[in-house]
Amino acid sequence: MNPLLYALDVLVFIGIFGIVSLSLNLEYGFAGLANFGKVAFFLTGAYSYAALSQIGLPFYLCLICGAMISAIFGWLISLPALRLRADYLAIVALAFGEILRLIVKAERGIAGGVWGITVAPIFPYTGSELIYRLENIGLVSICLFICFLIAQLLSNSPYGRAIRAIREDEIAAEALGKDRAKYKAQIFMLASAMAGLAGGLYAQYLQFIDPYMFMPMITFTVWIMVILGGPANNWGALLGAALVELFERGTNIAKDYLALPVDPGNLQYIMFGVLIIFVLLYRPQGILKESHVKTKALELAGYGRSTAEDKRG
Amino acid sequence: MEEVLLKIREVSKHFGGVYAVNGVSLDVRQGGIWGLVGPNGSGKTTLFNTILGLYRPDRGDVYFNGDCITNLAPHQIYGLGLVNAFQLPRLFYQMTVLDNMLVAARGHQGDRLLNSLFFRKRWQEQEKELIEQSMNILELVELDRQVFSLAGELSGGQRKLLEVARGLMAKPKLLLLDEPAAGINPVLGEKIFMTLKNLCCNGTTFFVVEHRLEILFEFASWVYVMDKGSLIAQGYPQEIIDNPTFYEAYLGEG
Ligand SMILES: Nc1ncnc2c1ncn2[C@@H]1O[C@H](COP(=O)(O)OP(=O)(O)OP(=O)(O)O)[C@@H](O)[C@H]1O
Ligand SMILES: [Mg+2]
Repeated sequence: MNPLLYALDVLVFIGIFGIVSLSLNLEYGFAGLANFGKVAFFLTGAYSYAALSQIGLPFYLCLICGAMISAIFGWLISLPALRLRADYLAIVALAFGEILRLIVKAERGIAGGVWGITVAPIFPYTGSELIYRLENIGLVSICLFICFLIAQLLSNSPYGRAIRAIREDEIAAEALGKDRAKYKAQIFMLASAMAGLAGGLYAQYLQFIDPYMFMPMITFTVWIMVILGGPANNWGALLGAALVELFERGTNIAKDYLALPVDPGNLQYIMFGVLIIFVLLYRPQGILKESHVKTKALELAGYGRSTAEDKRG
Repeated sequence: MEEVLLKIREVSKHFGGVYAVNGVSLDVRQGGIWGLVGPNGSGKTTLFNTILGLYRPDRGDVYFNGDCITNLAPHQIYGLGLVNAFQLPRLFYQMTVLDNMLVAARGHQGDRLLNSLFFRKRWQEQEKELIEQSMNILELVELDRQVFSLAGELSGGQRKLLEVARGLMAKPKLLLLDEPAAGINPVLGEKIFMTLKNLCCNGTTFFVVEHRLEILFEFASWVYVMDKGSLIAQGYPQEIIDNPTFYEAYLGEG
């Protein structure tokens, strides 16, 4: 395969999963909501895109509607989130993702059921694979940039402060006037919309989706991205997405050239496991540390200055 | 006579077989420092948590400013102007001292999702003012050198101070303080109570649990005494000191 095309393909994937990683970082990194059903919202976006593009909506509407439908699902999952402890929420979300996938798989009418469905690409094929990928990189970059901007603005504002406080101690935050139900619902909706957007981009880029592309492993991969890059740091979420994607591709290539005594597919999972254990043992905060709230007013008060002094000192 | 700010009527709360609070009725009127004392485990913290909406009382009602707040969520109770500083500090440990203060600030425009994304200019001025207020309060409790440290890096006593400072930052009408001077050096403890006394002039009322009776009785205008979940005495500090039931509660039946 042409190495340039391959590299561009990697970039598209990094961009798409970078969006999902940013969205999980909003939920888990900033607000402490352990969403183990991330793939459900990715799937919702992808299938919504497929269905809507079939009835002839223009692509931007398909993307936006896909994101909105995912947001509604996000709101649904926020309802148990308010009542359940983090560990139970994780199980509920995980089950939610699997249920959704199994429904899509069983119902032929939704989108080809187990056979999957072809999706019309946004950019018509002009005969050059290179151009197709470059166009997609452009589109994905724009979406990634918007999501990153939203995540940055949110986390560097009093709103970001409130959701961090809810993560740290929701009872104390509630007693200080933060309506945790509202904040959690908003974060779930916003993050799910981002995941849905990424799902739409994914579906149209690959031009085909089936239920097997939305296994729970996707959720875990995104979790590894966030934990590796550094929770509560948006740059970390992007860095994690890039590293995990490269790692995945690297091991995929390596397995073609190595004669291994074990199934290389499983070996990849084993190495993911080892990677996570190393991160949690030696750098539990991830590669990049939590980025603290920064506002103009805080900078005027000398926030940046004093931390710079700390570093020198 | 000043208006009744907090009215507690026949409130009971039990955990399994233990009646932590048993049929307590009391009033806190506008202005001044009100004391609540009693031996360990007499139900003072439980009563505070019930007032705050963190526990639902089994029986009885709580009124604040004339409104029944028994079934309100804690954030709504905060909204009415009733705030608490926990006995065991519940800080946001991965956040800076200043951020801990700013979380407590009342009515911050930037707390809203859309304002954080689209209307950032709107709250920058407000944030600046709130930072200034935070700095003043932090100076008062001698935490002004730790402004940008993480709350998790503070010493035990400093955590307590930040808990109290955060309560003050919330600009409450009534602030419940659960042992504000515990673990604080005596000089600073005295200073905190002096500060509270001064803030009373601005219309803030304090309801304070404190085991350091010598400080509390110096500043309090009225004192309630609890024992085994019930209210057993009340009066001016001087009366309480002379009251035999007060001593019996602390010394036990023997
Ligand atoms: N969450 C709980 N679950 C079970 N029992 C509790 C709980 N909270 C308090 N209690 C019990 O209720 C009683 C009153 O406790 P509380 O904390 O209100 O006492 P206190 O007056 O604040 O004591 P201290 O002065 O030591 O702080 C104690 O016997 C305690 O064991
Ligand atoms: Mg107590």
